Amino acid sequence: MSSESLLYAAATVLGAVGMWLLLPRPGERLRWGGAAMSVVALGLILSQISPLGDMLSQSMFVVLGSVTVIAAAAAVTFRNPVYCAIWFAMMLLGTAGLFLLQGAHFLGVATIVVYAGAILVTLLFVLMLANPRGNAPYDRLSWEGPLSATAGIVLVGMLTMTLSSVLKSPTLADDLPSALLTAQAVGSGNSDTEQAAARNGGQDILSEHHSASLGGRMFSAHLVSIEVAGVLLFAALVGAVAIIAHSRSVRSDKQTLAGKQAMQTPSTNGRAGA
Amino acid sequence: MNEVSLLHGFLTIGALLFGIGLIGFLSRRNMIVMFLAVEMMIQGVSVSFVAWGRYHNNWDGQVMVIVMLAVAACEAAIAMALILMVFERSGKLDIAVHQRYREDNQPEYVDRDLPPPEDKAQVWPNLTPAGVEPEHDPEETAYRSHV
Repeated sequence: MSSESLLYAAATVLGAVGMWLLLPRPGERLRWGGAAMSVVALGLILSQISPLGDMLSQSMFVVLGSVTVIAAAAAVTFRNPVYCAIWFAMMLLGTAGLFLLQGAHFLGVATIVVYAGAILVTLLFVLMLANPRGNAPYDRLSWEGPLSATAGIVLVGMLTMTLSSVLKSPTLADDLPSALLTAQAVGSGNSDTEQAAARNGGQDILSEHHSASLGGRMFSAHLVSIEVAGVLLFAALVGAVAIIAHSRSVRSDKQTLAGKQAMQTPSTNGRAGA
Repeated sequence: MNEVSLLHGFLTIGALLFGIGLIGFLSRRNMIVMFLAVEMMIQGVSVSFVAWGRYHNNWDGQVMVIVMLAVAACEAAIAMALILMVFERSGKLDIAVHQRYREDNQPEYVDRDLPPPEDKAQVWPNLTPAGVEPEHDPEETAYRSHV
């Protein structure tokens, strides 16, 4: 067993125990210990990524990645669902930063606008409409904490170990895809960028006209998927309105029925109309 | 920039997001938090898609993420409508409410070790008040419900 596998095994065990300690459970002891163990596991996993070669990108990546993962862990472990939603927004900001770091400018902005702007606000609206009083007991319990923490972290451990064994193998550098060489040529500002892009079917993901190129690709090669997404959005809109309208009509039917019964027998049950 | 280690780093972050979302989905009982965990898994997959798109110098990964954004928005609308409807009927956001749809021969799930009720009131996030507090209209505050 190599030292690398040992390191990943240690990270998996530490992460599983840490996440279990962090999850809501009766007693709530050792939560800070769980947080520390999870952070150590994250550090072990991130330490296996070879440096990006560029100091600025490297520090940006480490900061954004840590913020994203720590906010994600906080979002699933906090007891109060409002705090969960706020940590989820923090995770979205981190992900948007990672997208920007990859050169996906449009996606970075779209993530903030659609997720943090629309979905999260809808979610907070529902939380405020529901407004369960106090800390509900079901927010302070979890289903099978140790088992689910182990399942998730073992999945992460296997994925990261496989990634590291495949992507760090020395043979990979010899057979880089031609597209990657194109990207490197583009990244270094090479003069024959256009030639390189032409070799790759006219695609150049780091071009200056980012949104124009993305839109061109989207509305030419992927026109059908975009139309399907539009139809899906419309269907979801109609569906959501239908669900709410149906529940309203059922409720008002019940209320009128109960009101009639209460009027017929006023002395039996005063709270029937409530 | 070293493209292979960039891919490695982003796929690692994607795997971590997916795994943490899986833990949240399996273990949490609040339906809204479970929904957040599913969105987190979708984000993990999006990060991986963008990383592969960059690696192959191909727009299709980003286009796929845009379609996923649209699907996630649809899913959020439907899920929120359903959660609100269930909440109106049962008064709980607990997923265990759905155990009434179990088979006839299955035993009912009962919470074994309930945590003791908390003494201190729940603390909601709030903003620090700034500036001079204006005079309150007593009639207006009488009609406003306590939030």
